[in-house]
Amino acid sequence: MNKHIEKLLFNPIRLKTISFLMTVETCNFKALLEITDSTKGNLSTQLKKLNEAGLIKIEKYFQKSYPTTDYSITKKGKKSFEEFYKQLISFK
Amino acid sequence: MTKEEQLSIINDAIKKTKYNLKPLGYNLIFWSVVVISMSLFHYFFPQIVQYSYYSSTIYWVSIPLLGMVYTTYYNIKTGIKIGYETQLGRVIRIIWAVFGFAWIFTVGISILHNINPVQDILFLLGLVLIMSGVIIRFKPVTFGGIGLLIFTIYTYYVPGINFLLLNVFGITFGMLIPGLALYLLKKDE
Repeated sequence: MNKHIEKLLFNPIRLKTISFLMTVETCNFKALLEITDSTKGNLSTQLKKLNEAGLIKIEKYFQKSYPTTDYSITKKGKKSFEEFYKQLISFK
Repeated sequence: MTKEEQLSIINDAIKKTKYNLKPLGYNLIFWSVVVISMSLFHYFFPQIVQYSYYSSTIYWVSIPLLGMVYTTYYNIKTGIKIGYETQLGRVIRIIWAVFGFAWIFTVGISILHNINPVQDILFLLGLVLIMSGVIIRFKPVTFGGIGLLIFTIYTYYVPGINFLLLNVFGITFGMLIPGLALYLLKKDE
């Protein structure tokens, strides 16, 4: 498995985010804050890193004149998570 | 962070994903109340609903269309409040959206050919309720759909049946009671 991905998912906030996004179609920032028990700043930083690695997709749009952001997992993200999970299970 | 801790984080995050079933229950109750009220009003006050050639068509098309606008708004608002959409939620949303399009199509065809669409719509509704019930694993909705389907097939063989009372009876047992059970009893999936 890619060492870079493994290192990325070593962070608990990023791991929680990716695990949650595996089970949903899309998710907004507010819901991710609740799921990860993180601060806005920290979560934004971790999401940016996941996006830069191509693991998640960020979609920004306006809803009733308010900026809204939706997050979803990419194909690469799904594949990486599955490999990561298989590896974790094999160590058990 | 150990491997066990990582696995625990993954499991906890996955467990937090719940499909909120209350909005589906609310939708079923809302549509049941709308259709039953409209049918009863039509049954008791036919002189108002059928005062002209097109008035009953306008009555049966405009109010459900307004209902569709309201439920679409409600579902979008609820979706934003929940903050995420599960795969189960997406499947249910697609099934009911297809039913909405099928309803428009069936009503359009029936207006063109001057036939009553009640039985066809109830048949379709029965199928959609069965699918929804099986997907969310909630027997009252599945059985409501099966009951509605059997009842609708039976009415095809009964000549001279009153379609308004058919609506009231079919919707009450096929959708209203299962919808109430879903809204009040079922825990999120």
